[in-house]
Amino acid sequence: MTTPLAAAEGLAAGRTGTRLASPSHLLRRLVRRPDGLIGLFVLVTFAVLAIIPDLIVGPLQTAITAEGPRLGAPSAVNLLGTDELGRDIVNLTVHATRISMVIGLLATIITVFIGAFLGIVSGYVGGRLDAALMRIADFFLVIPTFVLAIILTSIIRDLAGSGAREVFGIRFGLIAIVFVIGITSWSSTARIIRSQTLSLRERAFVDRARVIGAGGGHIMRRHILPNVINLIVANAVLVFAGAVLTETTLSFVGLGDPFQPSWGQLLDAAREVGAPSLGAWWYFVPPGLCIILVVFAFTLVGSALDDLLNPKRAPRR
Amino acid sequence: MSSNPTPTGSPTPTASPRPTADEILRLEGLEVHFPVRGGLIDTLLRRPRDVVRAVDGIDLTLRRGEVLGLVGESGSGKTTTGRVVVKLTRQTAGRVSLDGQDVSTLWGTRALRDYRRRVQLIFQDPYETLNPKHTIRDFVMEPLVVNGIGTPAERESRVTDALEAAGLRPARDFAGRYPHELSGGQRQRVVIAGALVMDPQVIVADEPVSMLDVSIRTELLRLMLDLRAERGLTYLFITHDLSLAWVIADRIAVMYLGKIMEIGPAEQVIRSPHNPYTQALVSVSPTPEPRTAGERAKRTILVGETPDAANVPAGCRFNPRCPYVFDRCRVEEPPLFDVGGGQSAACWLAEGGRALPVLPPRPDTVPA
Amino acid sequence: MSTTISGPDAAEPVASSPVAAARQLPKLADPAAPLLVVDNLKTYFSLEGATVHAVDGVSFRLDRGEALGIAGESGCGKTTTALSLIRLLPPNARIEEGSIKLYGIDLVGKSDNALRRYRWREVSIVFQGAMNALNPVHRLRDQIAEPLTQRLGLSEKAARRRAGELLELVGIPKRRGGAYPHELSGGMRQRAMIAMALACDPAIVIGDEPTTALDVMVQAQILALLEDLRHKLGLSLILITHDLSVIAETCDRVLVMYAGRVAEEGSVDEVFRRPRHPYTQKLLAAFPNIRADRRTLDVIPGSPPDLRHPPPGCRFAPRCPFAMPVCTEVVPPEVTFGQVRVACHLYPPGSDGRQVTTAPPDAIGATVPLVEPPPAEPPLEIAGG
Repeated sequence: MTTPLAAAEGLAAGRTGTRLASPSHLLRRLVRRPDGLIGLFVLVTFAVLAIIPDLIVGPLQTAITAEGPRLGAPSAVNLLGTDELGRDIVNLTVHATRISMVIGLLATIITVFIGAFLGIVSGYVGGRLDAALMRIADFFLVIPTFVLAIILTSIIRDLAGSGAREVFGIRFGLIAIVFVIGITSWSSTARIIRSQTLSLRERAFVDRARVIGAGGGHIMRRHILPNVINLIVANAVLVFAGAVLTETTLSFVGLGDPFQPSWGQLLDAAREVGAPSLGAWWYFVPPGLCIILVVFAFTLVGSALDDLLNPKRAPRR
Repeated sequence: MSSNPTPTGSPTPTASPRPTADEILRLEGLEVHFPVRGGLIDTLLRRPRDVVRAVDGIDLTLRRGEVLGLVGESGSGKTTTGRVVVKLTRQTAGRVSLDGQDVSTLWGTRALRDYRRRVQLIFQDPYETLNPKHTIRDFVMEPLVVNGIGTPAERESRVTDALEAAGLRPARDFAGRYPHELSGGQRQRVVIAGALVMDPQVIVADEPVSMLDVSIRTELLRLMLDLRAERGLTYLFITHDLSLAWVIADRIAVMYLGKIMEIGPAEQVIRSPHNPYTQALVSVSPTPEPRTAGERAKRTILVGETPDAANVPAGCRFNPRCPYVFDRCRVEEPPLFDVGGGQSAACWLAEGGRALPVLPPRPDTVPA
Repeated sequence: MSTTISGPDAAEPVASSPVAAARQLPKLADPAAPLLVVDNLKTYFSLEGATVHAVDGVSFRLDRGEALGIAGESGCGKTTTALSLIRLLPPNARIEEGSIKLYGIDLVGKSDNALRRYRWREVSIVFQGAMNALNPVHRLRDQIAEPLTQRLGLSEKAARRRAGELLELVGIPKRRGGAYPHELSGGMRQRAMIAMALACDPAIVIGDEPTTALDVMVQAQILALLEDLRHKLGLSLILITHDLSVIAETCDRVLVMYAGRVAEEGSVDEVFRRPRHPYTQKLLAAFPNIRADRRTLDVIPGSPPDLRHPPPGCRFAPRCPFAMPVCTEVVPPEVTFGQVRVACHLYPPGSDGRQVTTAPPDAIGATVPLVEPPPAEPPLEIAGG
């Protein structure tokens, strides 16, 4: 699960003198591309599933409300079969969409917030602050993410207990995963944004802001930030994909919450029940496929944005 | 000889107020030395680090209301000097005084703010100076916002005044636009408006027209001169183009490798240069008049290029390329000698106010 | 000892230069034909649905050993014209009409593959901002040797040797051939680009703003170098620049372009001393002249037209102080008077062609204000001028 750092740093390089488009302009151009269009369509579909699962498949089935046969194959009633408790796989998968996507979204917000903030400050202020922050970022970049995530999640859950408190409809156990993803992923975002900040810092409009007496805060807020927003958005898209994958993996190794099935949780359950060797493909293929589709869609959109942001305009005059 | 018609536009006003003798900005012994970061080996071996002597000791006085052309090629230190004046770069030695007050070490808030209100900068690249995400209004209003000047209504009216003073009328047609919607000349007018809005006394203009088309340049130069007449501005006009300085400057100072080689009224510096570098620059400055082969033979095309500011030659820094060089030049650096009429030149030949001897034409000229 | 670079054989006249005589003409060449004849060239760009008429009917001729300057401001089409000659156009550009005859061979009809025979071997180009076109990770002599091995099929050793010769020719000591571009100054890099352009011994070298980014002293050196090479090698030069002063110093003839068309063309002497087209007059008057009176700079109101929607009639009419009603309706024909060709209604066919410097009686003058309101469509930003 590597963020395409090189591709994004390619974004950050070669930034001189392009007219940087507004987000709405970018969106319009994104939908004109076939890859952007497909990716966006897939994401919108999943977003709808995530927001109104009840309207589409009814409430989440539990062991009590399950009506189907155990590990039943797909049939007219259960289009994608049932799990070991008799719950309909379609129902489970659609509800899992919400869990996975919300966790991904929250984790992305945290990651991008921390990463962008530290990236801008570090890049603009420079000097020893920059050196210190980047050493810390390097630390997080180098440590194997999953190992750290596993350790941190276990610790946080032990500390917090497994109560039934919910945030955004997600139980606290899974919120831990959100923080963990944020903590382990911010550094690559920070590096990317810092890179762009470094080149922006040398541009004439920043010099001009200094000449009229603007302080660092004003410059970072009004001059640097608006010019890295596009990069942040493009990066966020890829971080989102990564977050979904990380959550999946963490749940798969048992750190998820069995009461709130995410796709990873479903995969874990399928494994525990022995679905692969029993031939119950309908149990793990749907969630697996969803993960692949969503991550792929994110990557399509992310790389289309990458293309759009790159200066392909002819030089001026 | 040429029957080029007299220009149909009215000539730029030469009836500007003659600058009074009092000075508004003074640089004394200004030095800007940048250390070159040594590598690991250099640190281990304790080698002395190279120093880039971008500005190496200059004295300059700006008189109230004048346009001083600071001319030099790349590596001359002219841009760095400009940056020191607007406090984008810190000097490593020397004094800066504004209106008699020492402003050399003004890094506290209030006094620095006050200085910035009075000394502003017009940048070279109109495409780069404007943040593509900000409107014209944002740009021109920013100095007022950052310095907490005026109420919102007052700010709005000052922005309008500044835009219209820069020739962008009516201001409301331009205020809401983004930079990419304007042409190069219009963008540079916006930059000028942005420099005017705080009502400064001194404007440093660093190559303000070199990125614009020729026909647009003249409009902007006229605008700058008009503003000088209306508002009593003083300009430090930095350029590599001697012809441009010829057209707009009252006095010209020629810089080479961090030092002033010659300074004086524009007429005198161009028509009778007393420093060999100035003379060479004047002789190679191209004009839109075709010259005969005989005239072209009189150009003094120097050999080689300006050396690195980290390796300034000993003695007179121009000596390796000077057509008149003799022994003293290689050993001792000449000061600026007064050669009369307010002109001074840094050259041993100028000692005593002598004129430069005439150089023989190049022996190996291309045939006519 | 501060004087310059000309070598000892600079005094040899062009025709008997051994290199010029020895240059082999391409197989299809017509030895009696003039070196280069461009006839009614039209190059258009497709940009976001609209068509930009960047070059709209340009004709000129270049003879052996001549230096032709193409002058004009940004957007006039001069760079596009040059790029059309060797067809180094971006994918959204096409040569709509016209012919480009090199030794009588029409290059317009040739396929890209066929064009390779001529590109760099007969016509080469030194680009704008060329100093930054060098590959930073390759040594200088390797980059110069590249066209020699690729185009001329020389062996590595022979190519290296010739690269060394070329470096010396442009004033770079051979031993600096092993340097990387960043180790050289701007002037040296520009000389290196010239060496690359000369690698295959072309007949024509096009310089697109070759000295724009350089200091005035380095510019003088490079121009003197080009002059020297012209005489030593029998080279023909097309110099493209907005800087009329550079053209005055180096060229024999000048072509003044405006908004994709030819305004005036003729010998440098005639056009600069007696400019006929009002645009030429105004442009010349807008250049500062260090040898003349001060502060007499002229202004041209407005800005060049948007080439997606060029004005009808003469494209300069909206800004012309001498504009007459016919100018806004009818495209002025190009008329030749002896040494000079002008496209202006002040010089209709059959008139005596004497220079006009005052407004005609029925002039309506310039119709654009000094500062135009911001345009309805954002201004075009196309490559080159």
